[in-house]
Amino acid sequence: MLQFLIQTVWLIPLYPLIGMVLSALWSPSIIRRTGPRPAGYVNLIMTFAALGHAVCACFEIWQKPTVYQAFSWLQVAGLDLALSIEISAVTLAAIVVITGLNFLAQLYAVGYLEMDWGWARFFSLMALFEAGMCSLALCNSLFFSYIVLEILTLGTYLIVGVWYNQSLVVTGARDAFLTKRVGDLFLLMGVLAIYPLSGTWNFNELAQWAQTATVDPTLMTLLGLALIAGPMGKCAQFPLHLWLDEAMEGPVPGTILRNAVVVATGAWVLIKLSPVLVLSPLVLQIMIVIGATTALGATLIAIAQIDIKRALSYSVSAYMGLIFIAVGTQQIEAAYLLMLAHALAMALLVMSTGSIVLNNITQDLTQLGGLWHRRPISGLSYLVGAAGFVAIPPFGGFWAMLTLADGLWPDRPGLFVTLLAVNALTAFSIMREFGLIFAGESKQMTVRSPENIWAVTLPMTILAGFALHLPLILQSLNVLPDWAKLNKDLALIVIWSSLIGVALGAVLYVSPLVAKPIQLPGKPLQNFFAYDFYTPKLYRASVVFTVDLFSRLTDWVDRHVVDGAVNLVGFASLLSGETLKYGNIGQTRFYVLTILTGVVLLILLVSWPLFTAVWSQL
Amino acid sequence: MLSALIWIPFVGAIVVGCLPKTIPAHRIKLGSLIWSGATLLWTIWLMSQFDLSRAGFQFQETLPWLETLGLNYELGIDGLSLPLLVLNSLLTWIAIYSSREQTERHRLFYGLVFLVSSGVAGALLAQNLLLFFLFYELELIPFYLLVSVWGGKYSNYAATKFLLYTATSGILILAGFLGLVWLSNATSFSYSALLEQSLPINIQFILLGVLLIGFGIKTPLVPLHTWLPDTYVAASTPVAILLGGVLAKLGTYGIFRFGMGLFPDAWSILSPWLATWAAVSVLYGAMAAIAQKDIKRMVAYSSIGHMGYVLLGGAAMTNLSIVGSVAQMFAHGLILALLFHLVGLVEAKVGTRDLNVLNGLMNPVRGLPLVSALLVLGGMASAGIPGLVGFIAEFVVFQGSYAIFPVQTLICVVGTGLTAVYFVILLNRTCFGKLDNAIAYFPKLEWSERTPALILAWLIFLLGVQPDWLMRWSETTTQQMVIATTFPVTTPDPYPDPIVQSVFNPPALANPKVTLPVALNPD
Repeated sequence: MLQFLIQTVWLIPLYPLIGMVLSALWSPSIIRRTGPRPAGYVNLIMTFAALGHAVCACFEIWQKPTVYQAFSWLQVAGLDLALSIEISAVTLAAIVVITGLNFLAQLYAVGYLEMDWGWARFFSLMALFEAGMCSLALCNSLFFSYIVLEILTLGTYLIVGVWYNQSLVVTGARDAFLTKRVGDLFLLMGVLAIYPLSGTWNFNELAQWAQTATVDPTLMTLLGLALIAGPMGKCAQFPLHLWLDEAMEGPVPGTILRNAVVVATGAWVLIKLSPVLVLSPLVLQIMIVIGATTALGATLIAIAQIDIKRALSYSVSAYMGLIFIAVGTQQIEAAYLLMLAHALAMALLVMSTGSIVLNNITQDLTQLGGLWHRRPISGLSYLVGAAGFVAIPPFGGFWAMLTLADGLWPDRPGLFVTLLAVNALTAFSIMREFGLIFAGESKQMTVRSPENIWAVTLPMTILAGFALHLPLILQSLNVLPDWAKLNKDLALIVIWSSLIGVALGAVLYVSPLVAKPIQLPGKPLQNFFAYDFYTPKLYRASVVFTVDLFSRLTDWVDRHVVDGAVNLVGFASLLSGETLKYGNIGQTRFYVLTILTGVVLLILLVSWPLFTAVWSQL
Repeated sequence: MLSALIWIPFVGAIVVGCLPKTIPAHRIKLGSLIWSGATLLWTIWLMSQFDLSRAGFQFQETLPWLETLGLNYELGIDGLSLPLLVLNSLLTWIAIYSSREQTERHRLFYGLVFLVSSGVAGALLAQNLLLFFLFYELELIPFYLLVSVWGGKYSNYAATKFLLYTATSGILILAGFLGLVWLSNATSFSYSALLEQSLPINIQFILLGVLLIGFGIKTPLVPLHTWLPDTYVAASTPVAILLGGVLAKLGTYGIFRFGMGLFPDAWSILSPWLATWAAVSVLYGAMAAIAQKDIKRMVAYSSIGHMGYVLLGGAAMTNLSIVGSVAQMFAHGLILALLFHLVGLVEAKVGTRDLNVLNGLMNPVRGLPLVSALLVLGGMASAGIPGLVGFIAEFVVFQGSYAIFPVQTLICVVGTGLTAVYFVILLNRTCFGKLDNAIAYFPKLEWSERTPALILAWLIFLLGVQPDWLMRWSETTTQQMVIATTFPVTTPDPYPDPIVQSVFNPPALANPKVTLPVALNPD
């Protein structure tokens, strides 16, 4: 029976797809009779089925060898596109996380979107994401991974645009789509370019190929850069990071999924590609630089934000930057741990802040405050999420950061310091948000604020439970790093970095010692961070400006030069016809003369070769 | 069997044209729909009889006609023409379905549509150059009338421009054919006889150039395209579907059949230039589309870029790339037809095509939710989002061409990104945003308007997830075409690995001219 569940793992992405199709039926027509809610319930059931299947299969496959299955899709002209899937403990664990978080997020949505009429659209898109991510987790082929990533790009466009009435949503959806598409297209170029070299797109075969491959270094660098561009877009790394910030205009339940797992799709593909990327040391260096820049920069930006959701979104970018560093330094285990710890903690943070946003009707941190007594459950959940996010033992983030730190020390002290700084700054940033929301005096927007209905609160507390138990779960599965082998001094340093950040944040924002509102020094510097390094301006001045200029130019050329030339020919022939008209004088001899001239010219023309032949004879 | 594809619509045209005036328009539409449905069914039956393993022409029919001229009634189909024939029958049916019942002078309208369908089928079936030319010219006049009589604003200007351009194209093609036959001392215009021509390469260049310009006008390729936006925009929805979906394919069909097929040597020497031309077309079309303010014009410009991919695949001349090109012709026909249909619906319901006026059509109560949803699907299919038919066709073209022309292929990939840019602009302005309640009293969407869109959308999705049903038809034929073309320049084999070599089509890649690392390396 359980073996059967493993053989049919490919069904898991199909459950949410069925849910997606079914819930799409509730788009406008049936809604009038039943209301929009059944669309959500159908999806919850299908997601639960997927979760159940994944959990059972995961227990069965644990400690067993990886199984590969292949499905033929398209065979044309020598190109065999077979969908290869990898059934292993890691992929199934990823699916459990995805479906589990999706189930909780959908339950959360039932409460959060209670008054919304767009359930069918929203839930079918959630199901699309679930199906996409599950298939990406199973997928063992770069080509099909690209397909899934690209479909998810479209999904992001639509799910961010669920509330399409608002202008910020419209621009946010547009920017999310286009930014990710830029990354995807580079990835597509990589997909096209790698095949003639390796002859396969399957990740496991690519890894084998990479062990013995000798490729021209320039080509390999270009290829590697193209391959990491896709994950860069997905993981919101500099300079493709802005979309995640703008995507925060979408509904919170979608944000839970996006911040926690959708961004990690890029990291997942990156990990799968890491054996290939090793072929170019330069690409690894670039990855590390990008990751480190993003991790530091995005954390600083997060501290300068006054919008809760945007502040959290930059922390996501920062964490993904750490994963880039981990993959760049070939620490795959650390990368997986970071992904897992991040997924649970970030989902919890978004759920908790979302539940604050829902009934305080504002996500502006300066308008919130003093909610600890009114919202203890949300507050505790936030703290649990925060503890799991930064390196505080014994929670998930600690183990992930420690594993990474262990790999970085002593060979890469610079990166080690970066990691400590990012960790400390993140701790500060998280505490700052906590202080601004929960500590201090009540404000106008926070005077009346009860806990939300069970559909919002229950998933949040369940997830808090999971986040608290993550170390135990990891230990029971034997995936926790071995304490005996780890460098205890490093652990202390990492903990100290978290404590410094937390303490500083607590003193400044939680305790009443410092007068509120707090003015940090350096206004221009603050603005620099608050406006995302002025990236929107940078985009507008570079890419957007170029495309706009060229499109106008092309349009102008098209209208005035290309079409103008054609119209000129038409106009000239009309004009000459009109002018010739006045040459008609009605006398036969004139016409005869014209015809005669023409005939003579024609004869001359036709017999020209004859003349030249005669001429050459002479 | 093949003649039926020409003569069923032809008879339909005569019958519809001669029907008494008293029959109401919707009856005539229904009758036309059934009649063209019969053609469609006949095409599908032919498909079922088509032998996939045979490379040459099938179901050949030959009748002597004017043998002194070398003009005979010779028909046949192969993997190149079959998908386009199906597209022609399908889109004729869709076009009739999507025509409005209030069409004035409806008998003439449907008659002309049948005539067009007959002419296109004839051109695709013809195995004789002169016969092809006759059919090619045959659909010119009906189209001129369809655009000018039932067109919108500036339809006369557009129709005249179309007429002049296509007439020029016809003259050039005729000149090319005559030159070929005379210079090679052939006794007839029969396609099979001309395959063995062995003209000097310079003459081949001239003749191929003439044909390329002739067919390039029809396709259209930059800078021969300016008739296209004007004509597509002026034409009514069904005519635009036929123009963009079917007629433009005659251009690329001609390039493949007569350009590549008859002048393989000249073609393979010119191919780097053709690939560059394709890349320029793709970028130019996309850039021009971004600047448009009229959604129909935007869709029209999108067509220019997408035909560029077809040329790219042809220029690369690998088995894979040509299969991709044929698939791309079919895919583009479906997608463009859907987009034109939807844009026509938006115009009919909202009363404007202006991007600055349209807004919030996704509103489920007072907007046009189904049209918006399908517009998203169509736009994304055109932008090459996987899971829809446009992606896999483009991907196969790219994968097939990359090994031969890496730079041009990557430029075309950038082109798909730019396609996404203008479709996002279109969707953001028309579907997203806030619907102005003061003007949102749109007529209800009829089932007769939904059905064609749903059929096309279903096909786009179905062939996107099951591309084998699209690709299988042309594989054997293209293999033969690739073997027929010879590479004049010999360079060392860039793929010493035998596994990699067998992945691509071996005969084509045995000695390609551009080695991969060299082309990507700026030094």
